[in-house]
Parts: sequence; C-alpha cells; structure tokens
Amino acid sequence: MEPTSPSVDPTQTKLPQIISQSRVEFSGKASEFFGIWTVNILLSILTLGIYSAWAKVRTYRYFYSHTRIDGHSFDYLATPIQILKGRILAVVVFITYSLVIQFFPAFGILLAVALFFAMPWIINQGLRFNMRMTRHRNVRFAFAGNYGEAFLNFVVLPIASIFTLYLLLPYALKRIDQYMHENISFGNKPINVNLQGEKYYIAALITIGVTIGGLVIFGIFLGLTGTAIGLGAVDAENIHPSTILFPILIGALYVAFLTLVSAVYQSIIRNHIFNSSEFEDVASFKSDLKAIEYALLLFTNALAIIFTLGLAYPWAKIRAARLLCAATEVTIYSGALAIIDTTEEQQSSFAEEAANVFDIDISLT
Amino acid sequence: MSHKKTKGYYYYPSSSQHIQCSAIIIDEHIQLFDNGACPIVSSSKDACTLESPLPGIAAALCFADGGRFIPDDINFRWPFAHQKHGLAQRLEKNKLLIVASVVFTPILLWLILYRGIPAAAVYSIGLASPSTIEAMGEQSLHVIEKLALAPSELSSDKQAMIQKQWHVMLEQLQLDNEQFRLSFYQSDYFSANAFALPHGRVIVTDELVLLLQDKPDALRAILLHEIGHVEYQHGIRLASQATASTIVLAIIFGDLEGITEVVLGSSSSFLQQAFSRDMEREADKYAIEKLIALGYSNDDFADAIQALQNKLDEQAQLDESWLKYLSTHPSSQERIDFARQYTPQ
Repeated sequence: MEPTSPSVDPTQTKLPQIISQSRVEFSGKASEFFGIWTVNILLSILTLGIYSAWAKVRTYRYFYSHTRIDGHSFDYLATPIQILKGRILAVVVFITYSLVIQFFPAFGILLAVALFFAMPWIINQGLRFNMRMTRHRNVRFAFAGNYGEAFLNFVVLPIASIFTLYLLLPYALKRIDQYMHENISFGNKPINVNLQGEKYYIAALITIGVTIGGLVIFGIFLGLTGTAIGLGAVDAENIHPSTILFPILIGALYVAFLTLVSAVYQSIIRNHIFNSSEFEDVASFKSDLKAIEYALLLFTNALAIIFTLGLAYPWAKIRAARLLCAATEVTIYSGALAIIDTTEEQQSSFAEEAANVFDIDISLT
Repeated sequence: MSHKKTKGYYYYPSSSQHIQCSAIIIDEHIQLFDNGACPIVSSSKDACTLESPLPGIAAALCFADGGRFIPDDINFRWPFAHQKHGLAQRLEKNKLLIVASVVFTPILLWLILYRGIPAAAVYSIGLASPSTIEAMGEQSLHVIEKLALAPSELSSDKQAMIQKQWHVMLEQLQLDNEQFRLSFYQSDYFSANAFALPHGRVIVTDELVLLLQDKPDALRAILLHEIGHVEYQHGIRLASQATASTIVLAIIFGDLEGITEVVLGSSSSFLQQAFSRDMEREADKYAIEKLIALGYSNDDFADAIQALQNKLDEQAQLDESWLKYLSTHPSSQERIDFARQYTPQ
C-alpha cells in the first residue's frame, strides 16, 4: 500500500482532500483458515448443527477482519445467537416446505405462492442484516430498501423479461444491482450509484459471444472424441481408456466453460458497479478485475476442490478474496473522518438464513 | 510488567474518528494516552469487553460507550483475558484436532446423511397416522396423474386378469389388500414402467403390460419389486435424505461461489443416485426372494429386466459404461446377472 500524498489542484479547490488512495488489502492465510474451517465443521457436526452459527460468525469475522482499507479493517458484528435463531427458523420453513411439496403437493402450491410474495421481504431483510452487521472504522453500514421496489426489481421485471424473449433481462439485472447498492449507506452517509443499462447489454453481448465461441469449440471437441468412442465401443469386452477419460474431460471442459462465461460477465459487471459508486467526499472506488484472471482462478479453485475432495476449499476461498481485494482500489477523502454511526436496534438474521437455504445468492461482492 | 505500553488505534464511539495511541494497564484500570502522553480514555477492566480472539487478528478492546482500542500487534493478547476466552482459537490451532476433523468429518457426515436421517424419517413416519400417509400418497398420485398419466386403454378383461394375479400374490404374501392397490395408466412420459407410492399404491403403465404380454411371470416379478419399495419405505427415506442433505450442505458450505456450488451440488446428486441404486438393489432382492418363496423362478425377474432393456436398446444405442454414475438404477446386466445367479440363503 502506498498512500499518495494529497495533491490539491489550485484551480479546483472545491475538490475534497484525498487522504489515501490504495488497493484493498487482504491478509488472511489459507493455513490459518484451514484450521478454523475443519475444526468448525467437526464441532458443528458433533453439536448436530448448533455450533454452525458460531462457525459462521468466526468465518465471517476472519474474512472481514483481514480485509483492510487504508489500514482499517472491517468488522462482522452478528452474534452467534442471532445467526442460530435465523437458522432454526429457516430450517423449519425449509423442512415444512419440502414435506408439503413432497406429500401434499396441492397445499404446496399455496405455500409456494406465499413464499413467492414473501421473497422480496426476505431479500430486503437479508440485505439489511448484512449491512448492519458490517462495520468499518467503528461505523456501521445500513440498507434502506422497501418491499415495493424489491418486488418490482426482483419479481416483476425478471418475469416481464421472459415475455420479451429476455431482451429486457440485462435491464432487469441492472435494476437489481442498482437497487441492491443504491440503498446502502455508511453511517449517515448515503452512497451514490449510477449504473448504466448499456453496460449490462454490452456485458450480455460479450457473454453471449464467448458462449457461442465456446460451444463451437466444445462441439468440435465432442465430435472428434465422439467418433473415437464410437470406434472404441466396437470391442465392448476391452475397456478402452478413453471411456474413462472421456467423461472426465467433458466434465472438466464443462466446468472450464461455465467458469469462463460467468467470470466474463461477473468481472465486467463488478468493475462497472465499483466504478460507478461513491460515498461523496468520503470514498470512491475503482475495480479492474480481469475476466481471464478471474476465470482462471475460479477454474483452478473448482479443480482443486474436486481433486482434494473438498480439502482445498479454505485455500480457494482465501485466494479468491485476495484476488478480489487486489482488484479493488479505494480513494478515501477527508469526509471519511467525520462519519457518524446511526444504527437502530438489532434484528434476527432469519431472512438472510432463509435466503441462504433457499439458495438465492445475494452477496454484495 | 503491568505498566507495559501497547500501541494501537482508538476509535471514538459511533464515529469514524480515530487516533493513534498507547494503552497502559494500571492495576484494575486501562488507560489510553495519545502520542503527546495526554490521557484520552480511562476505564476499569471490568467495564471493557474483549472479542473472541481469532488467529492472525488483533484483539480489540471494546469500552462500554462503544469506543474501541485495536492494538497494532496482531499477536498481542490482553493479560486479563479469561482462560476460557480463547478456547475456540486454541482448538482451531490444535494440529491434532485439525487432523482428526479431516478424518472424522466425512465419516460423521456419511453416518448422519445416509444412516441417521433416513432412520429418523422412517421412525417419524411410523408415528404418523395411516390416514395421513394415505392422504399424502393420493395427493402425490393426483399431481403425477395431471402431469404425466392418461387413463388406461387396456381392456377391462386384461386389467381384471392382472388384478386377480395381484390379489392372489398379496394373499400369499399376507399383505393387506386395502393398503396395496394396483392401478393402470397410459403414459408417454414413463413409457414401459412401474412405480410405487409410499402409501402402497403401485402404478403400472399400459406400455409395460403390453411389453410383458407373453410373460405374466415377469410382470409379477416387477410388481414384487415395487412392493419391495413400499415395504422398505424407500420413498420416504429418499425424500428425507434429499431434504436433509440440502440443509446440511447449505449450512456447512453456505456461501460458495457459483461454480463450486455446481460441483458440490452435482456430487451430492451423484450420491443421491448411488443411494437410489442401493434401494433398487434392495427391492430387486426382495422381489427375487419372494419369487422363490412363492414357488416361482428367480429367472422371472431377469426376464423382466431383459425385456425392459431390449426395449431401451431399441430406443437408443447408449454406451452404459460411463453413464452408470448418472443412473438412478443399477445397470440392467448387473441386475439380470444378480437375479440369475441368486441362491437363497
């Protein structure tokens, strides 16, 4: 980290003073996190899942506390009891839902409709909880979305996009990101976010281009090996090595392809979101995540996790966090010294946990 | 010793303001001094709280008013912290425990997912009243009916004949003919197939009846296989296990990035299918044992699977060698061989 000296241009004295400009630092170590991870899983199992709430808090605290901007770390504030309550509720709802769907499908439809309308609320609660439990320089973040907007952005627009043959989808995705970010504030300082629809359309076009290119290559490969298999299969008694290698190769290609496509889209969008967001007079952001680098990381992470039967998970998490932090630059302005925390009372993390179990990933990074 | 200085940052309560300072512990008090040696904060030790320590992270000291002091040295630990305080951290750093975790976690997970939870589900379903289970099963049938079944086009003679065979068999097996019922449906989706619902209704498609028209013994073998599924409560075990593994995986691996989730998700469904294959083998064994017990031949079952496989071969020429990991059933050849070579114990 090299803080640049404050440069004040005499013609633009209105500009806020820059205190520091640096990359986000991440100091977590795979070896340390490995111990935390494995021991926490064992304790979670031995306590029939109860300790998992403590495990989650410790994991989050580890990652937050090792992430620093200008030398100041983030803090994760949720208490294990909050997480535990949320998990118990989420598990009860999930089991009820599964049982009803399995055994009383007719009632299941009613329940599904109820959950459908509860989803925007659950998403809001999850975002709110996560923001309030995040602290930097002794000031908490906050999230101020409302049900109506969440319903419009998470439900109405995505469904509408289906009826426009997905032509509206990039716009809907832009609205979701805009909603999720523009309602954030850091203490008493609201964020400014100006996402542009055309960036999302460009990202979609590039992603589709990569997909088509990949499919063509995939098809050629499949055609070539397919004929090889066809010849090999004549002699059914002899198991040809290609019959074993083939599915592994196909699987690896499939994973590589998926990581590439998602890395391309995610890196374009992440860069755009960071580059279009600022806390006025407090902080501005720059992200220069490279699609290829990110795809390579995700792919090698996936391979490492598969071939170590999951043991590489802590290492994969740490290096992903390190790459994302290194791709992010934050400029801190003098206003950062005068932020006041305006946090209200605490709340349960049920919504966030429910969102987790129901597999709706709404993470902000 | 007690007057040792600890350098760090003090963060003012509910504010982003902070100041570089030093902490000094004097008897029961903690005092913070700025770089000019002027006192900033003074508090008794008892009024302060410590966060549970984590490896590689400085031990923050929280004052009652919300102010916090964070030492520069990440390895610094407060001398007055309770012995119990750092327990989690000590466990997480314990090499022996780490190794034990790596070894025992998979074993325990397997025990819970594949033994504990299915057993618990079977036990709890035993507590449910028969009418509840009946209602569950009939409602499932109703949905499947809507989605994939059409009324049977078999002649009523044909149906009556198979029903008679069914009832004779139930009587021989001393099974309740109120619980075990047989229904016929036409289905393009299932094609030649049969399946059992948890409450005891067995569905056979027209296509299967026609396929085994000349082999009534083979059809009986398949019906026995389906009864086996009901008797072993496979449906409930599979469903409970699917639900439980979703929850366990979500809680343990809650926040995975997309691709890892795909990988883990698919390996969990591979396991699911392995479990399903085990159940098929169990039902196969049930069918074969009952065939022998009732004085029929274990070859009947092999004939049935052979007929189904021939039909599949007509439909598609597939190399099964690597598809077997994706299949919910054991390979046909394996099942045929098992049936033909079966020797009763």
